Amino acid sequence: MEMDRDRRILMIGVITSIIFVTVGCLWLSSSAETLDEVAERFGAQDLPLWSAPLPDYEIPGLEGNALVDIVLGIGATLLILGLSFVMGKALKVKEEF
Amino acid sequence: MHIPDGFLDIPICIITYLAVIVFWAFALRKMKKVLSERHIPLMATLTAMFFAAQMMNYPIIGGTTAHLLGGPILAIALGPYAGLISMTLILFIQALLFGDGGITTLGANVLNMGVIGVFIPYFIFLLSLKIMKGRRGIVVGAFLGGLVGDVLAAVFAGLELGLSTLSFPYSIQIAVTAMSIHHFFIGVGEGIVTVMIVSILLKQRPDLLKLPKVAPIRLDLPYISKDSKGC
Repeated sequence: MEMDRDRRILMIGVITSIIFVTVGCLWLSSSAETLDEVAERFGAQDLPLWSAPLPDYEIPGLEGNALVDIVLGIGATLLILGLSFVMGKALKVKEEF
Repeated sequence: MHIPDGFLDIPICIITYLAVIVFWAFALRKMKKVLSERHIPLMATLTAMFFAAQMMNYPIIGGTTAHLLGGPILAIALGPYAGLISMTLILFIQALLFGDGGITTLGANVLNMGVIGVFIPYFIFLLSLKIMKGRRGIVVGAFLGGLVGDVLAAVFAGLELGLSTLSFPYSIQIAVTAMSIHHFFIGVGEGIVTVMIVSILLKQRPDLLKLPKVAPIRLDLPYISKDSKGC
């Protein structure tokens, strides 16, 4: 029973995340963060030390394709979900009574 | 608010990493004592949800955009130590895979969004519950926690930028003012979303909010009952 309720929470979380990713890729994808705007105004430049494989949440060569971005976003969300689970299992109390 | 590589001087990067390592050590120690099997689905769900939520950029003032951080909800639902670890995972994946935030500045980003943006909302929520009883305390605490947490995280980012005189040649006052004014509006959105999610959890799954918090100070919600109608 409790496991079913926890599964339900997980399902709601996954569905909500997919909605967030879809809305984010289709309608709210344009990013102009305050920090970027402040940096531009003050002439500061970033100097990336690490070349991220998926810069700006896009696959190089397939930029601007919303469907690809959505699939990538959902994949990354599921990766975070999986890693959180593994981390939680590794960090939880060892013995429960 | 993700600071990229090159915006902060090396000493600031080192100091922020050292500060965050201390918090990570306390967080991992506390999690091994408190985190149970029951926390894990909620922790995984909220971490994934706020990673996804950070992909939605909504317009605010002056042609800039903002996104939710999620720190306040992670703090209230799981406790700030668990919230810090969740936020660290989000920021690490964002920097490593997507180039959103730097590697040398990961310590600063975790300090701003994972420590300030998580612990401050938690303590404001606690304070609000002590001052105001019942639903009002929950609503006011969740809203102010979201608002103040976001603004203070931005103030810290501004301080780090302002102190980085070699990389970011502008005064602390300019950097802090520029960051905090915009983040006030972001904080209002964060506060509203925090109230909404806490209300939904109270109504649908009050048992999840009753889970022990991975926190330095206990959070009790004694008035939550099966008959709770939420906020």
